[in-house]
Amino acid sequence: MRPSKSTARPARNATKRLMLAPAFLFFAAFTIFPLIFTAYVSLSAWNIGGRHIFIGLANYRSILGDITYLLSLRNTVLFTLATTFIEYVLGFGIAYLVNGVARWQRPIRLAVLLPMLLTPIVVGFIWKMMLDPSFGPIDSVLRHLGLPRINWLSSAVPAFMGIVLADTWEWTPFMFLILFAGLRSLPTEPFESARVDGASPWRIFWDLTFPLMIPASAAAILLRSVESFKLFDIVYLITAGGPGVATSTVSLDAYFTGLRAGDLGSAAAMTIILLIIVIVVTMSFLQLVARFGQSKMRPLSSPKDLASSRANSRTQVHETR
Amino acid sequence: MLLAIWLAFALFPIYWTVATAFKTPIDIYQGPKYVPFIDFHPTVMSWERLFGPQNFSFFKDFANSLLFGSMSALLAVLLGAFAAYGLAQYRYKFGFYKNDDIAYLLVSQRFMPPIVAVLAIYITYQKLSLLDSRLGMILAYTAFDLPLAIFLLRNFFEQIPVELEQAAAIDGYGKVERLLRVVFPLAAPGLAAAYMICFVFSWNDFLFALILTFDNATTLPIMITNLNTQMQPMWWLLSAVGIVVMVPPVIVAVFLDRYMQRQVLRGGVR
Repeated sequence: MRPSKSTARPARNATKRLMLAPAFLFFAAFTIFPLIFTAYVSLSAWNIGGRHIFIGLANYRSILGDITYLLSLRNTVLFTLATTFIEYVLGFGIAYLVNGVARWQRPIRLAVLLPMLLTPIVVGFIWKMMLDPSFGPIDSVLRHLGLPRINWLSSAVPAFMGIVLADTWEWTPFMFLILFAGLRSLPTEPFESARVDGASPWRIFWDLTFPLMIPASAAAILLRSVESFKLFDIVYLITAGGPGVATSTVSLDAYFTGLRAGDLGSAAAMTIILLIIVIVVTMSFLQLVARFGQSKMRPLSSPKDLASSRANSRTQVHETR
Repeated sequence: MLLAIWLAFALFPIYWTVATAFKTPIDIYQGPKYVPFIDFHPTVMSWERLFGPQNFSFFKDFANSLLFGSMSALLAVLLGAFAAYGLAQYRYKFGFYKNDDIAYLLVSQRFMPPIVAVLAIYITYQKLSLLDSRLGMILAYTAFDLPLAIFLLRNFFEQIPVELEQAAAIDGYGKVERLLRVVFPLAAPGLAAAYMICFVFSWNDFLFALILTFDNATTLPIMITNLNTQMQPMWWLLSAVGIVVMVPPVIVAVFLDRYMQRQVLRGGVR
């Protein structure tokens, strides 16, 4: 049965298209159009009042020589690398531990997931309190341990670490969620035979669990790092990019440049560069995963076949009528 | 043991916030106090202030948050259900784009940092006088919830046995009736889950509200940042607002846990 057969009937064709139409309309208005428009704005001197002239690549030239932007770019990349790595390791560990828990698994799972679901701006506020050098609990614990007071939010490196800490707290649950689901869907037979063969838990983990978990890991790392490139909310609340620009990110810099300083043209150029970086990173990561796993693993692609075969059988509903 | 350490780390900041919401300013600024009744006397001062007469726009922001979340989730799930059903039921071909490509194209929006779109939306809304308007916010949130709704629902519609629909067709049900009487009821758990997830996404948003609103259409996250930028942030009050903001996502989490147990844990990574 060819799909083109069903498109031959104009009435059905209309219904079929109407179903997708609203979604496409929104997609066009809020994704495609803004994308093209932002690209155009990035090529103009565009002031927030609305006056604008086309100036070609001048915005790009000026922001690439702008130390604030370059530092924000560096911070964004460092944040992404640091948080993705830490959250992956912790998320995997917690998923592994929770998977081994027999009793109380449901409340434990819920408690682990909780931080991820909280409103990011509230997470920012919570960690601003936690890290406060005078009234925060972290400071008092450090003092009781006889450790020096750390001015978390007013010096560069601790502020950076503070943001990483808050982000780790918030998003490790996301890694946990995907990796836990991955662990649950692993086949049981190879583990049983490994145990029968007397393999140690350590060997089982590295020789079986970890390799089998590569597709889930790849998905988790990809989704998390893409999100991490967007980092805005918690930084805005905790440090607003400070001290200086020590914790600024591209999203923050673009916000301050575009909406506070009113230079929308430069801000647009900043975001376009960010978008290009995200695309390049995503593409190369997928390439890497594809090459690394060869044909053995099929990250995110296996449900495709199932879906299309299902669609195939679904068309029968109509032909039979 | 290790798990217990993580749980303590995960839960303590939340406990801290709840405790702070019942403190007086003195208890906060005399250094950290941990246990109610022993360290400090819990008060409802912040709650009285929050729900009291000089509530400084709390109710407006709360109503906005609720309105934007519920309306955008409703639109996203409704429109997303049509698209998801279409993608599960028919075979599309627009040029090189077939069903999966269309689905991935729509979902790919989530890969784009929202800051890229929001600047252009700001300029557009400025022209259309949609800035700081409730309609504008609902539309923007709908657009950003849609891919999520389609992604979740498509999976769901594909799991509905075709035979049930065939049976309904043989019984003489029309297209729309089949959709409303057979497919949507069967997908009800999925629709509910998608609605809740979309609601939380809109509810949790900060960037759009920050850039596209300033007075009429501000939401609770904006209220938190406004309170936060004061010289001596009122932690007791902020914590109370924070708790109000945290409640819906937590309720949703408890509900979704059931759904996840069935969907995610059985189906594996999609």
